[in-house]
Amino acid sequence: MTSYFIRRLLLVIPTFLGITLLVFAVTRVVPGGPIERAMNEALLAQTDSAQMIDMNSVAGAALSEDQLAELRAYYGFDKPWHESYVIWLGRVMQLDLGMSTRYTEPVWDIIKNRFPISIFYGITTLILTYAVCIPLGIAKALRHNSVFDNATSAVVFFGYALPGYVVAIALLTALASAWEWFPLGGFVSDNFDQLSTLDQAIDILYHATLPLIAYLAGSFAVMTFMVKNSLMDNLSSDYVRTAIAKGMPFKRAVFRHALRNSLIPVATSFGQLISVIISGSFLIEKIFNIDGFGLLGFESLVERDYPVVMGILVISSLLFLVGNILSDICVAIVDPRVKFGENGS
Amino acid sequence: MAALLEVRGLRAGFDTDTGYIEVLDGVSFELAAGETLGLVGESGCGKSVSALSVMNLLPQPAGKITAGSIGFQNRDLVTLPKEEFHDVRGNRISMIFQEPMTALNPVHRVGNQIIEAVKLHEPNLSSAIARRRALEMLERVGIPAPDQRLKEYPHQLSGGMRQRVMIAMALTMQPDLLIADEPTTALDVTIQAQILDLLREMQRESGMAILFITHDLGVIAELCDRVTVMYAGCVVEQATVTQLFSTPRHPYTQGLLRSIPRLDATPKQPLTTIPGTVPALIDMPAGCRFRNRCLNAEDDCELRSPDLIHAAGRQIACHHPVAEVMP
Repeated sequence: MTSYFIRRLLLVIPTFLGITLLVFAVTRVVPGGPIERAMNEALLAQTDSAQMIDMNSVAGAALSEDQLAELRAYYGFDKPWHESYVIWLGRVMQLDLGMSTRYTEPVWDIIKNRFPISIFYGITTLILTYAVCIPLGIAKALRHNSVFDNATSAVVFFGYALPGYVVAIALLTALASAWEWFPLGGFVSDNFDQLSTLDQAIDILYHATLPLIAYLAGSFAVMTFMVKNSLMDNLSSDYVRTAIAKGMPFKRAVFRHALRNSLIPVATSFGQLISVIISGSFLIEKIFNIDGFGLLGFESLVERDYPVVMGILVISSLLFLVGNILSDICVAIVDPRVKFGENGS
Repeated sequence: MAALLEVRGLRAGFDTDTGYIEVLDGVSFELAAGETLGLVGESGCGKSVSALSVMNLLPQPAGKITAGSIGFQNRDLVTLPKEEFHDVRGNRISMIFQEPMTALNPVHRVGNQIIEAVKLHEPNLSSAIARRRALEMLERVGIPAPDQRLKEYPHQLSGGMRQRVMIAMALTMQPDLLIADEPTTALDVTIQAQILDLLREMQRESGMAILFITHDLGVIAELCDRVTVMYAGCVVEQATVTQLFSTPRHPYTQGLLRSIPRLDATPKQPLTTIPGTVPALIDMPAGCRFRNRCLNAEDDCELRSPDLIHAAGRQIACHHPVAEVMP
C-alpha cells in the first residue's frame, strides 16, 4: 500500500507540469496582457493632450519601440514561450511565484493575504456541511417517506436549486440593507485591531453569517442524499439482518454495522472538499466584498495579471492533486477491503 | 412429543405499492427439541418467509404477520414485545443464511463479529473471555489457524469458511433452535457436504433442533428427521423422511420426487417435470392451489381448499391423495 501512495505522489509531478504548461501556453496565446495594458495606459495619458489624432498612430507613438522591448524583457515576453515557461518553473521550484503585473507586489504576498479569509470560510463550510449532512442523512434514512423526510428533502432541494449568489443578494438586501441586522460586507470591522480576542471572534462571526448561509444553501443536497441513500442500501443488507439475528437491537445495528459502510462514499469526497476550501465563489465574495481566493482569481484573469493567475493555479492544482490522494487514504482507512497496489489491483 | 417450536395457522405477507400480498396462507408445523425438520418447496413458496417470521425478521416496514401463532418455550413469538425478542434471537434461536458472502459485515473483523454475538447476551463478560469463546467456536467449526482468522476480515475467507464463521457465530450461545435458510445453496458440492457434516456434528454435541430450509431433496434425505413440504404459501404434506421418500401421498410431493434425476434411469431421457407454473401471489386460485397442475384434480378441488389432516402418522392437505404405494 505504501508503494501505491509513493507512486501516486510521483504521478503528481507530471500532472502538475501538464496543468501549468497548458495554462501558461494559453496565457501567451490569448489577446491582452501587461504590454497592451501599458500601451493603453500610455494611450489614455496622451489622448488627453492630442484628442483628434488617428488612434493607431497614437498607440504606436505612445510607446517607442525601445520602451516596448524593455517592457517585453521585463515581463519575459522577449523569449519563446517554452523558454519562459522553464524560467517560470525554475522560479516556482525556489518558491518564487513572481511579481503581480497589476499590483507590482510579489504574488506570494498577495495570495498569502487572502489565505486566512479563504481558509476560514472553507473550513467552516466543510465542518458545517459534514455536521449537518451526516446526521440529517441518517435521520432521513431511518424515517424514509415520513413527513420529516419529505419536508427536509423539500428544504434541501430548495436550497440546492437557488444559486448561491441569488441567496447572497436576497440576504444582503433583506437582512443587511433593509433591516440592518448584519453588516453589508467585508471580513472584519474597521476597528478590528482594537477589539479584544472575544470581540474579534464575535466580529468575524457577525460578518460571516450571511456569506456562510449563501455558501451553504446549496451544499447540503448532494451529501445529505449520499448519506441517506447509502445508509438505506446498507440497512437492507444481509449483514444488518445478521446483526439483528444475533440479538442486536435495530438502532444499535444501524450505528455499529450500517453506518460505517455508508460513510465510505462520504470519505471519497473528503479530498475534493479540501481543494474547494480555497477556491471560493467569486460572486459571493464580490457581493459581500470579501477578499478571498475566488475574487482574486477572477479579477486577475480579467486584468490579465498572469503571474497571479499562475500562482493561484500552482496552489489550487497542488491542493487538488494532494486532496485526491487524501481521498484514497481515507477510503483505505474506512474500508479494509481496499488494498491499493496489491495483487495488481 | 413436546414441541419446541409450534407454528399454527401462520399468515404473513407484504405491503406493496399495489396493495397487500399474502405469502403465507395458514402455515402450520412443529418441531421437537433436538429434531431436524426440513422445510422444502420451490422458490417463492414461503419457506424463507416462514423462517423469517419465526425470527421476527421480515423486511420492515413492508412485511407483517396477520394471523396465527408461533409457540416457542411457552412464549408466543408473534405477540412477544420487541425488547424481549432481543433475548430470544441469537440466544435461544439462531439463524444462518444462504449467502455467506454478504451475511458478514465486510468492514469488521471476523473475531469481533463473533465476540459481539457473545457480548450481546452476556454483557458482563470480560473481553478476554469473550474472545476465548470466539476462538473456541472457530476451532469447533473446523477453521484452521483460528487465532489468525479472528483478526481477518470476511473478504479474506472463502465462502465455505465464511459459512463456518456464520455457524460459529450462531452457535456461541448454544441455542435450542437453529434455523438454517438454505445454508449450502451458494456453496460448492464438496463444501456443501462438509457444512452438512458440521451441522450434524454440532447438533449431536449440543442437542439443538434444526429447522432446515432447502429446495434440495437430497440434502433433506441426508440431514432431516421429518419433512414439511410447502407449495404456494401452504403446507401440503408433512411426514418422516422415510415415509415421504418411500410413499409420497400428495401429488405435488410425488411430482417433486419424480423430478429428481436418477442415476439408474435410462440415460438421455428428458427430466420429468411438473406441468404448468406456480400461480402468482396476487392471483391465487380458489380451492386447492395446486389443482391447475395436479394429475388427480377433480371438480371438488376447485370448491374447497383442502385442510391439513392427520392420516397414518403423517399430515396431508389433499382431497385426492395418491395411493400409499408409489406407482
